[in-house]
Amino acid sequence: MKVTADTGKCVSSGQCVLTAPDVFDQREEDGLVVVIDAEPPPAQHALVRESELQCPVAAIRLLDA
Amino acid sequence: MTTTEAPHLPFDRRNALEIAPLFAKLRDRGPLSKVVTPAGDLAWLVTSYEHAREVFRDNRFGRSHPEPDTAPRISDAALLSGPTGEFDHEERDHKRLRRMLAPAFSAPRMRALGDHINELTESCLDDMRAAQDANPGEPIDLTPLLAFPLPVMVICELLGVPFEDRDYFGSLSERISILDGGTDGETAMEEFKAYTLALAEKKREDPQPDVISDMVAVQAEDPTFTDDDLARQAAGLLFAGHETTSTRIALGTMFLLSDLERRDRFVADPEGQVQQTVEEILRLSATSATGGLLRYAREDVEIAGVRIARGEAVLVSSDAANRDASVFADPDEFDPTRAPNVHIAFGHGAHVCIGANLARTELRTVFPALFRRFPRMRLAVGIDEIVVRNDKIAGGVRSVPVFL
Repeated sequence: MKVTADTGKCVSSGQCVLTAPDVFDQREEDGLVVVIDAEPPPAQHALVRESELQCPVAAIRLLDA
Repeated sequence: MTTTEAPHLPFDRRNALEIAPLFAKLRDRGPLSKVVTPAGDLAWLVTSYEHAREVFRDNRFGRSHPEPDTAPRISDAALLSGPTGEFDHEERDHKRLRRMLAPAFSAPRMRALGDHINELTESCLDDMRAAQDANPGEPIDLTPLLAFPLPVMVICELLGVPFEDRDYFGSLSERISILDGGTDGETAMEEFKAYTLALAEKKREDPQPDVISDMVAVQAEDPTFTDDDLARQAAGLLFAGHETTSTRIALGTMFLLSDLERRDRFVADPEGQVQQTVEEILRLSATSATGGLLRYAREDVEIAGVRIARGEAVLVSSDAANRDASVFADPDEFDPTRAPNVHIAFGHGAHVCIGANLARTELRTVFPALFRRFPRMRLAVGIDEIVVRNDKIAGGVRSVPVFL
């Protein structure tokens, strides 16, 4: 799985960070999304998929390997 | 639209843990229904999950109105009951506001705040213990000892508002959220704005690491963000920061205590279960007495085959959407193993709640701490006896009597 996030769309809601904190974070200065693990291990996949569904502005994109 | 057939909000519900059965009946007939608001105006009510998300994401719906004086109204409450903002600049103003607030509510700041929330929680739990010890055999009320003070302490710190003022702005928060309070809501709102503006003046002289100081700094660079905007936003945040989380702490405790086996399962591993348990509490806790979050159509729009005319009001019911059986199996069941659990308790789209991180951080702290300290806690009355506050925008309950 490959994870990307579009900071142009991001509205700093932080839903992804609280759902999958090992994969996403927010920048402290503006709250924009940061992908900290772009190729997360399988154990994280369910949470990452939930983050994608939860993102209020569809800023998270997943590519399944 | 006519008022002849449309049902009137708020709808009757049996208790604080259920939602009005009418929401599901309306959804069965179609994703959008005409309803009469508590103010007596007509609005569209969205009850399906799919269409709730669609409306939330569609920028043809906004919070402003092309002709504010003629806009349908939801209630007499001073918040969330009519149009806000300027029709011509709504998107620009909203983006500016989010940029201004985002740093304060970001995950790194929430992590930094975590230990402190823990300490504040423990001090509330000490107060609960002391209250029970002072009156053994009598129920204690969780609301004034935990559900109210904890979120208030946290939001005070984040915004830079003195906690000593809590009774004062607590009563203002109460008055601006009453649905049928006549003109008193607006009077209270003016008082609230005068209060937050006076705080802002102090921070202009002596800036602190808090949200009101951040707003003052933005205003120094962008004079189109007026004193009135600043005062209203600060009051809104102060209101939203305690009222909503407070309600979730009360209802979440009630969900966990309404079935003692459920309580015991949580007590067995609070840390392991808290994330999903909190999401299920958020999904199920119905806190809207007005029916839903308000939007106005900025132009003629068709949703699910229904034509919504420019300027008409749309209430998006997250409470109903979160119990839509087409998305959530056994939607009325409290199931902390539900995955995924993509509820819209914080809304959706560009206006999604900026305080979601804060609320989740507080809730994930409070429930494990509460049930570690009082694993045998139980309700002192039946769920049906706990009165739902249908006269306030955020709903909620007045008291949660428990034995520790």
